[in-house]
Amino acid sequence: MFTGWALATVLFVGGVRANNPSQGDPAAIQAGASLFRERCADCHGADAKGVSGPDLTRLWMSADSDQRVFQTIRSGVPGTIMPASTAPDQELRAIIAYLRNISTAAAEASPGSVANGERIFAASCATCHRVNGRGGRLGPDLSRIAATQSNQVLTRAIRDASASFTSGYEPITLVTRDGHQIRGTRKGEDAFSIQIMDARERLQGYLKETLRDVIRDNKSLMPDFTPDRLSDPDLNDLLAYLATLRISGPPRRPQETPADLR
Amino acid sequence: MREPIVRYGGVMCLLALIGSAFIRAQEDPTTVTYQDLLNGFKNPSSWLTYSGDYSGQRHSPLKQITPENAHRLSAHWTFQTETTARGRGFESTPLVVDGVMYVTGPNGFAWALDARSGRPFWRYRRELPANLTYGASAPVNRGFGILADRLFLTTLDAHLVALDTKTGNVLWDIELADYKAGHSATMAPLVVKDKVIVGISGGDYPTRGFLDAYDPTNGKRIWRFYTVPGAGEPGSETWPASPELLARGGGATWVTGSYDPELNTLYWGTGNPNPDYYGEDRKGENLYTCSLIAIDADTGKLKWHYQFTPHDLHDWDSNHVPVLADLVIGGQRRKVVMVANRNGFFYVLDRVTGKVLLGKPFTDTTWARELGPDGHPIVLNDGSKGCLPDNWGGTVFMPPSFDPALGLFFVTARETCATFVPEKQVIAPGRFSLSGTVRRDLAKAYGALRAIDAATGERRWEFKFATPSFGGVLSTASGVVFDGDNEGNFMAFDARTGANLWHYQTGSPLWGGSPITYMLDGRQYVVVGSGSSIVAYALP
Repeated sequence: MFTGWALATVLFVGGVRANNPSQGDPAAIQAGASLFRERCADCHGADAKGVSGPDLTRLWMSADSDQRVFQTIRSGVPGTIMPASTAPDQELRAIIAYLRNISTAAAEASPGSVANGERIFAASCATCHRVNGRGGRLGPDLSRIAATQSNQVLTRAIRDASASFTSGYEPITLVTRDGHQIRGTRKGEDAFSIQIMDARERLQGYLKETLRDVIRDNKSLMPDFTPDRLSDPDLNDLLAYLATLRISGPPRRPQETPADLR
Repeated sequence: MREPIVRYGGVMCLLALIGSAFIRAQEDPTTVTYQDLLNGFKNPSSWLTYSGDYSGQRHSPLKQITPENAHRLSAHWTFQTETTARGRGFESTPLVVDGVMYVTGPNGFAWALDARSGRPFWRYRRELPANLTYGASAPVNRGFGILADRLFLTTLDAHLVALDTKTGNVLWDIELADYKAGHSATMAPLVVKDKVIVGISGGDYPTRGFLDAYDPTNGKRIWRFYTVPGAGEPGSETWPASPELLARGGGATWVTGSYDPELNTLYWGTGNPNPDYYGEDRKGENLYTCSLIAIDADTGKLKWHYQFTPHDLHDWDSNHVPVLADLVIGGQRRKVVMVANRNGFFYVLDRVTGKVLLGKPFTDTTWARELGPDGHPIVLNDGSKGCLPDNWGGTVFMPPSFDPALGLFFVTARETCATFVPEKQVIAPGRFSLSGTVRRDLAKAYGALRAIDAATGERRWEFKFATPSFGGVLSTASGVVFDGDNEGNFMAFDARTGANLWHYQTGSPLWGGSPITYMLDGRQYVVVGSGSSIVAYALP
């Protein structure tokens, strides 16, 4: 739940490129690849394109420096499951050399219309997804989505929303003793309690002894935007808009006062 | 290809979500309004400000836990924060809204917890710079303020941050002051009407204190009141004529104040003048340090002030929660503000005029034993003769409570014996400037929970602790008082007699934080932090 944006925040604050002595060294790249599979692939995927952790093949798209990536691996990312590493500097440099080697250095071509994509986002996505302080909160905040996910991953998530669920956003249905059903996303759970955000964005915890059933839905609260609902050109425009969402630092201030702030 | 029926289900789901979003805007139980804040304890399932309501009384109307059944209290859940404030304690007061507990911790952490189970919804951690100043020596935080679906948090690098209640995401982030000069921020913001009131820490560095008001929607500053006047301004005559000195005179505002909606007045304590122990270069009374200031909530203008410790030489910040109540004094009903002060005195002031109605020691302080007719203390011992309350004072920032039905003010008192040795030092921005040392005689030190008759200042009862303690107090309408000691005991007492009803060893000092209480699913919970954990207690 925290991994994506937090790593993105740390990695995309910008900075000066620093030289990595292992850069381009085939032996280092090979060593880095095996270290990566061993220590990073669980969260970042065998292809480094991201699973629960962010896509790492796009790190160098925003002029990020090896030094910053090094520091992130060394220190971990507070507030996420990304731990600090105590591995020798040489091993960290090898991993970075490997990541650089597979990095999508050139920006993926996204010739779609950003303006149309933004309109589609406002109409179809903003009910549940927030960007720069505006929109719903039932789904993940997408303010920095382009910094962490590739078009490939985003396309899959839009076309087939139930294919995988981001941690902290798994769909869940709670059935109370009187048969009342509460649908939402799962924020936390133990043997005796469950914490959810319901479809009205209400955070609430429930003791399982007060529930008749906890149903782990295999269908996302997000609809599948199949081609008949979202044409290929519209999807391309939406991706073009999403590709602009890679700000670093605190989000921009909301432009207007929410109606309920009184 | 998926079956059409499944797609249809998806569309229905989306429509349902849009529908629910519409409903949400109209009736959202999770949204806190100014009216909710004004209502204070009227909704017993909530705890909405640092003190629970604007009066600062920390006196809950809840009655499930009584003197008769308090011995049956037990721990229901523990939340391990996995972060500690080195040399300090868990000083934060949680807020509770609609079954969710919002709590800040040391080192820039914060969490939203399930108030039923203690399990987290989200956590927040601020990236802090490595070169913190005051924030490094006291890496604590005392809690959130809340309005609508926004939480307000002060930070060790002296920023004010707004978080989304639902996600913990940052909405805006503004700088209060330059932390590199010595500033930090640790207090729980107080939301009043359409303003977030925020104080500053760092008076042990050469800084100038202030009280600020910000727009909750965007973090724009609305007003600022400097607690040390500028050259030529009223109060500057109580300092040497040096703009440089005034610009670093101290007077931090690091404990949440109280608010009287009828008078539209904020009551706020101010901290020590700087440098702390060496006063030769800042001769005069040093207004408005070690004072209570009454501030117009709309404009930030000073209405009146009262200085508890003129020309302080002991780090006796007056950063206490001012407690507002209506009391009958000398046969006359008065709107009062009460303060049990670090200098060892208990004060009752008329909160309309600032006139001192009562000032009496509630400790064995040898600094002074009475106030003169002008309300000034008659100082007997400046600290060089020994056995003065130490630099933490007769009590400190841990909140007291007040039971209006009994007329009793409950405070964790500290009996200490210290000698102050001032020493001139070089003053530089970002450099600690205590300017001296304190020698303590620990053999004579102890702590106590004391009940003071607010109308007379007389002590009704006390319960002694082995060492000087920092427990914050909570009382309830059922006649139970909660407090904690430096040995790690969290305890319940009979408000009328001071008899101990129950204790639980938490394993770490209760230090600076105060318990809260709320009803959930028909059960009264009492929650307090100690060490690196937060524990919820209730009857079986």
